Amino acid sequence: MNNKVRDVAIVGAGMTPCRSRWVEKTFWELAQMAVSEAVHDTGIHIQEVEAGVAGIYNDIFEFQAIPESGFQGIVGLQNKPLMRVSNGGATGAYAMLAAYNMVASGQYDLMLVLGVEKALDCYDFEAESNTPAVVQTIGYSWDPWFERPLGAHASESYAEVIQAYMDEYPGDLAPMARAKIVELLCEQAQNNPYAQRLGEKVTAEQVLHSRYVVYPVRSLETCVYTEGACALIFASAEMARKIKERNGREPIWLTGVGAANEPYFVGNDITRYKVLHRIYSDHVATKKALSMAGITINDVQVIELHDAFIPQLMITLAEMGVVPLGKANDLVEEGIIMSGGKLLVNPSGGLVFGGHFVGGSNMMSTWSAMREMRARNLEHGLIHGTGASLSMYGVVIVLERRA
Amino acid sequence: MAKTGKQAAAAAKSKQQPVISTAMLPMAAITEVKGRDGTYLQRNDVMFTAMKHAQGEFSEFFFALRDEAKVFGHRCPQCRHLIIPPFMKRCPACNFVEMKKEYVKDVGVMVATPVITVFAPSRFKGQEPFGTGRVFLQTEDGKLSDTAMLVRVRTTRGTIRPGIYKKGTPVKIAFADAREGQMLDLFAVPQEELTAKQLAKSPLLESEIEWGLLADIEFGRPTPQLQKILKQVKFHLQKLAAMIPRSPRATANLANWQRTVNVRTGGGTFSFVVHEGKLRVRDEVAKDPDLIVGVKDPSVLLAWLQDSTEALGGGFQSPALTDLVIEGTLVLNKPELETITRLDRVPRSLRRDQVVMRP
Repeated sequence: MNNKVRDVAIVGAGMTPCRSRWVEKTFWELAQMAVSEAVHDTGIHIQEVEAGVAGIYNDIFEFQAIPESGFQGIVGLQNKPLMRVSNGGATGAYAMLAAYNMVASGQYDLMLVLGVEKALDCYDFEAESNTPAVVQTIGYSWDPWFERPLGAHASESYAEVIQAYMDEYPGDLAPMARAKIVELLCEQAQNNPYAQRLGEKVTAEQVLHSRYVVYPVRSLETCVYTEGACALIFASAEMARKIKERNGREPIWLTGVGAANEPYFVGNDITRYKVLHRIYSDHVATKKALSMAGITINDVQVIELHDAFIPQLMITLAEMGVVPLGKANDLVEEGIIMSGGKLLVNPSGGLVFGGHFVGGSNMMSTWSAMREMRARNLEHGLIHGTGASLSMYGVVIVLERRA
Repeated sequence: MAKTGKQAAAAAKSKQQPVISTAMLPMAAITEVKGRDGTYLQRNDVMFTAMKHAQGEFSEFFFALRDEAKVFGHRCPQCRHLIIPPFMKRCPACNFVEMKKEYVKDVGVMVATPVITVFAPSRFKGQEPFGTGRVFLQTEDGKLSDTAMLVRVRTTRGTIRPGIYKKGTPVKIAFADAREGQMLDLFAVPQEELTAKQLAKSPLLESEIEWGLLADIEFGRPTPQLQKILKQVKFHLQKLAAMIPRSPRATANLANWQRTVNVRTGGGTFSFVVHEGKLRVRDEVAKDPDLIVGVKDPSVLLAWLQDSTEALGGGFQSPALTDLVIEGTLVLNKPELETITRLDRVPRSLRRDQVVMRP
C-alpha cells in the first residue's frame, strides 16, 4: 500500500569532506560538523528540530556499541527521540526512509537525518595494514554457522552476484564498458568539493590494468573505504514553507519511497529465495518508489546510486529499468549515461570516487542529487542504497524539484 | 585408513591452534600519528569478545557432517520445498508448517561461477587462493534441492581458477578425513575430474582423491622459439636475484621464507630456491619441490621480469604474478600463494631502494 499521508521535503544539508581516514576527528566531531553545516544551510536553530534518525552501519567501526548514544547531546537532540538505523550498505537510505515516515505520518514537522561512519581505525597488526581488518569487520555480516566459516568477506558479496549475472548474460558487463564508467565517474568527482578522490585522474586503460580484488573485479572498479558524515533536514510541507521564507530556497520533495530486502539464502524461486543473478531488491524498490511518485524511470534525469562495484552499478541500472537486463553494456555503448547522454549518473563520483562512509553514503548521494537538480534545472532525481551480504537490501527514493 | 569423525576429531584436537593468530594482538601503546594539520594520538586497542558460540538447532546438521559424512536438509510436507542447509525448522510460505529432516545425495550442480578469494581475511591466510560457490544437491527423488548451499570448491588440477567451474557444472561433495562438525568438513569437486569409482563412493574422502595434477595443461613439445624465451626468463630471473641483496626491502620481502619451486613452461623447465632472503635459479628441477608453477607461454614471465629489472618510463605494464594466478595463466599445484605475493613485492622494493632506477 502506498498511501502518502503528508508531503515531505528536504530543506537543508551539510557534509564533511570524505577522507580515507580522519585521524583529526572522532565520529562525534564528524557528526557535529555535519549537523552544524546542515542547520546553518537550512537557516534554523537545532532546538527547532523535533527528532532525529542516525544511520550508523557498524559498531566495530565506531569502536562503541550503541554508538549514537555518545552524540545525542552533541548534536543538540537532548531529551528528544533519536533512532539509530543499521541496514548494511543501505543504512543511509533506510535512515532516510524512517525519517520520511516519521514526518509523513504527521508525528514530526522537522527532523534531523544524520549519517556518520569511521572505518580505518580498524587495523590488522599481523598484516600491518588497515584493509584486511576492514574487510574482516564487514565479513561479520555473514552468518556465523554456514557461510562465515568458509571465509566469506566483503568483496565476495557482490562478486557472487556479478559472476552469476555474467553466467546468465554472457558478454554483458564488458571490461571496457566498466572501465569507461570508472573514467566517467572520476571526471565527475572533480566537481564534488567533498570527494575523497579529488585531484585524481583515472583512465579506462588504467582500470583494465589494475590489480584484481576478486575475479573478475579490479581494484579501480571498487568503492573506497571512507570516514565522514552528512546531515539532512526533513520538513513537513507547512514547515518547509516557513523555512523557505527564511532562506529563500525551494525545498526538494521526497515524492516516492520504496524498499525491499531479499532473503539470505539462495534458490531458484524469486518469491522465496535470493536468486543469485538478480539484485531483485533494486527492481522491487524502484518499482514501488516510481509508482508512488507517479512517474517512470524515463522521467528521472539524475540518479545517484550506491556503486559498491562498477559491475554492480550496471546491474542496478538494469534492475531499475534504465536498460534491459542483459543489455547493461548499452549504458556506455549507446551513450545513455556518458557525457551528454540522457541520464546523469553519480555526478558526485559515486561511492567509488566520492566516498563511502557507509552510514551516510546514501545521504551524500542525496546532497549531490539535490545540488545537480538545482544547478541543472532538473525536475526528477532518484537516490538508491544497497547492502548486506549478497546485495539483498534495496532502497530507492524519488526526489522532485518543483519550479 | 581413514579415521571416523570422532577419531579424526580427537587427532585434530592435538594440533589445536588459537582461533586468531597471536601476531594479531597489539602491544599496549599510545602513539603519535600525523594528521593534515598537526600531530594526533592513536591508541592500540581491541574490540574483543571470545565466544563459546552455541550451534543450537544446527548442531544436528553439523553432527551429521562430522560423524556420518552426510548432508541433510529440511523438507516442507506441504509445498515440498527442500532447503539446504536446514536453516529453518518451519516453512514461512506455508504459515510455519513444521519441516522434516531428509538426507540429500552427495552430487549436484553449481549455481553460478564461484568466487575465487586471493586476499583473504587474516583467519584464512595461507589458504589462498580458495574458491567458494553455491551448489544445489540432488534429493532422493532425483530432483535438486530448492536452495543452494555455500561450499568450498576445489580442483584436482592445481589451484582453483576461472574456467574450472561455471553455472551448471556437475559436482561431487567430498569430505575431509578429519572432521570437526563445521562447513569446512566438506567441499565440492567437479565430477569430470573424478573416476567412476570415486564418483560411486559415498562418502568420498579427501585422502581418496589425488591432488595437484597439472597434467591438463598441455605444455606440448618445447619449440625453439619458446625455448629461446625460457632462456631469457632464466637470464632475467638471475638478474633479479642479483639485485635483491642490494635492496634491504626486497631482501625483507623474501625473509623468513624457504621454498623450492619448480617451474614448468611450454619452453621447458627450471627451478628456483627462496632461502634466507635470497633467490637462486637452477637449470634442473627439484625432485621434491615445495611448489610447482605451470605456465604455457613463458613470455608472460619474461614481461614481468623485464618490467621488474628495467627502468620503466610508463610504469609497470605487465600483470602482477598474483593476477596471473587469479586469471589462471599461472597455475600452482596447490593453494599456496605466499611465494607469489612475496615475489610480487620485489619490483617495487627494488625501485624504492633505487636498485632499479626510475628513468
